[in-house]
Amino acid sequence: MTEFFAAMYETLFRVYHASYPEIFSTLYNFGGYMKLGGIFLLVPLVFWLLFYFLWRYPYGRFWHWLLWWLVSGGVVLVVTWFQARGAIFDSPNPALVDALADPESGYKVYAVTLPQRYALINTGLSLVAGFLYSLILKPFSKIQMHLPF
Amino acid sequence: MAQKLYIFGIGGTGSRVIKSLSMLLAAGCRLANGFDTVVPVIIDPDTGNGDLDRTKDILRLYQQIRNQVDHPDGFFAQEMKTIHELADHGAAINPDFFQFRLTGVDGNSFRKYIGFDELGNKRDPGEDDRHFIRLLWSEANLDADISVGFKGNPHMGSVVLNQFTASEDFRRFGQTFAPGDAVFIINSIFGGTGAAGFPLLLKNLRGNSDLPHRVHVKETPIGAITYLPYFSLNRQEEINSETFEEKAKIAIDYYNRTIISQNKVNALYLVGNKSNTNVINYAVGGKEQKNNAHFLELAGALAIMDFCRNTSLHGVSDGRAVNGTRVKEFGIENETETVGFGDLNLDDVKSLSGPLTKYRLFTEYLDKGLPRALGVSRWTRSNIRLVPRSNNSLLDKSYFNSVEYNLQVKAFNAYFSEWIRELGDNKPAFVPFREVTADTALNLVRGTTPKGNLSFRALDAENCRLIARDELRGSAERKHTTLVKLFGRSTEKVLSDKELIIR
Repeated sequence: MTEFFAAMYETLFRVYHASYPEIFSTLYNFGGYMKLGGIFLLVPLVFWLLFYFLWRYPYGRFWHWLLWWLVSGGVVLVVTWFQARGAIFDSPNPALVDALADPESGYKVYAVTLPQRYALINTGLSLVAGFLYSLILKPFSKIQMHLPF
Repeated sequence: MAQKLYIFGIGGTGSRVIKSLSMLLAAGCRLANGFDTVVPVIIDPDTGNGDLDRTKDILRLYQQIRNQVDHPDGFFAQEMKTIHELADHGAAINPDFFQFRLTGVDGNSFRKYIGFDELGNKRDPGEDDRHFIRLLWSEANLDADISVGFKGNPHMGSVVLNQFTASEDFRRFGQTFAPGDAVFIINSIFGGTGAAGFPLLLKNLRGNSDLPHRVHVKETPIGAITYLPYFSLNRQEEINSETFEEKAKIAIDYYNRTIISQNKVNALYLVGNKSNTNVINYAVGGKEQKNNAHFLELAGALAIMDFCRNTSLHGVSDGRAVNGTRVKEFGIENETETVGFGDLNLDDVKSLSGPLTKYRLFTEYLDKGLPRALGVSRWTRSNIRLVPRSNNSLLDKSYFNSVEYNLQVKAFNAYFSEWIRELGDNKPAFVPFREVTADTALNLVRGTTPKGNLSFRALDAENCRLIARDELRGSAERKHTTLVKLFGRSTEKVLSDKELIIR
């Protein structure tokens, strides 16, 4: 899975920068990509499980669904930002720590922008995943089967 | 084997008890011991009577709704048929089929009906006949318009009602009668039509040799409920309520000699309210006679159910009750002017609490809760995409806008709500329910304090859970199947969860 997530972020979304290999090797080797991938997959899954199977409000409308979709995206945004920041700035990799501590390496200036990028990518992915989860889960729901449509 | 209970409702009281029974049957009460079909028969010469018209309309609606439900198992579970349907095996619904037709009463005076003026006008035998008739009936009796009933004169009623046994309707009754069937008769003892009709009908059931299947009819268990005075009138004119008690005493004495001591009926229920303070508007009959529903009429419906529960005691041999006539009276546990479920005998509470509360919640929901859910809640949506077709509800906006829903279910429920309201306005008042709003819907049973959310939300949620079940989907021709079965189940669950049903 690490291979898959790494390829997705680095190649598909072009986050990789050859000048800062320590950051990406750290994310690859210390489980950072797995956590980021897990966030955009699992957070919306939990949200939609709650929506379809625990929320027993029988008057759910489309705007309820839309709000929930956006809230799940928002949560992914925040969680991803904190996770990516922690994975980079609190890294157990001494090489990356040294690089970040060296102002002349440019690592720190570049790394500061990365959590936002990962957060935005994950938010987009989570919205897509959430929509798909919604379509998959809704036929099994008793009360919110009619949402989003 | 299918068993039928023929219920003869005589006069205005008979109509009103049948109305109460219809409400209980709609709410899901059922007759015990295999009585799967109720055959109401109303005997009343007053064809324009408000009570009669209302009852016939309620019976019509009951049939129309039930016919649109596939194998009803809760609300409207009890089958109801007319003698006309049984005899002709037809499915036509006509409110007039619930009533035995009396010929020669429309617009007629009693004088004309008995042919008083045709007895001759000279001093001849006809003159003697007229004198003799004047000994039996007063001038006021002779001039009375019998198309509005007998105005508290059973000695007129016994003459006019005697004809119905020779009628086509009565012959058809005999034709449809089968072994295992039973008869229940409802009458009031203090009026005219009921007091006269009961002994006449009983006599013919036990011994009319011209009746088809007379052997079965003669040997059938017969129960009866006789109403003692339970209301008075606000004016004393042709009908004088001050004479009710005296008339009742005389009639009881007659019944005692000719019916009870002769064991002609298996069970005789006596219902009345001696210290009644219930005063109703004076009306001799016709459209004006439309009395509010009364708690004792509900007690009458309970008597019918009690009769069916005890058929094992109702053996008949040679037209007489083997165990003698069992005389029963109705009573409540607490003497109060405002009766609730808690004031009733435990058996009666068990019979009424569940069905009435469920149906009350059903009617209140359709009135106050549906607007919020319609087109929003999953159980009212028929356009849900990417799900199996069976998950789309049949109860969508088009159903609730349909003619069938509005002219049948909604109309019947309006009668039910009116009946509950009238029971509460009478004396003694039967007030088992509180007035509720959409937010306090589950606070409907008086004397209870349910906790948690009391709105219709739980009911809508339960409807969503149940709506896709196969057993709730009837054929396309039976449009009310889903609604009736769905609410039968969802109201049961919601009320049970809140412990609002006394079992």
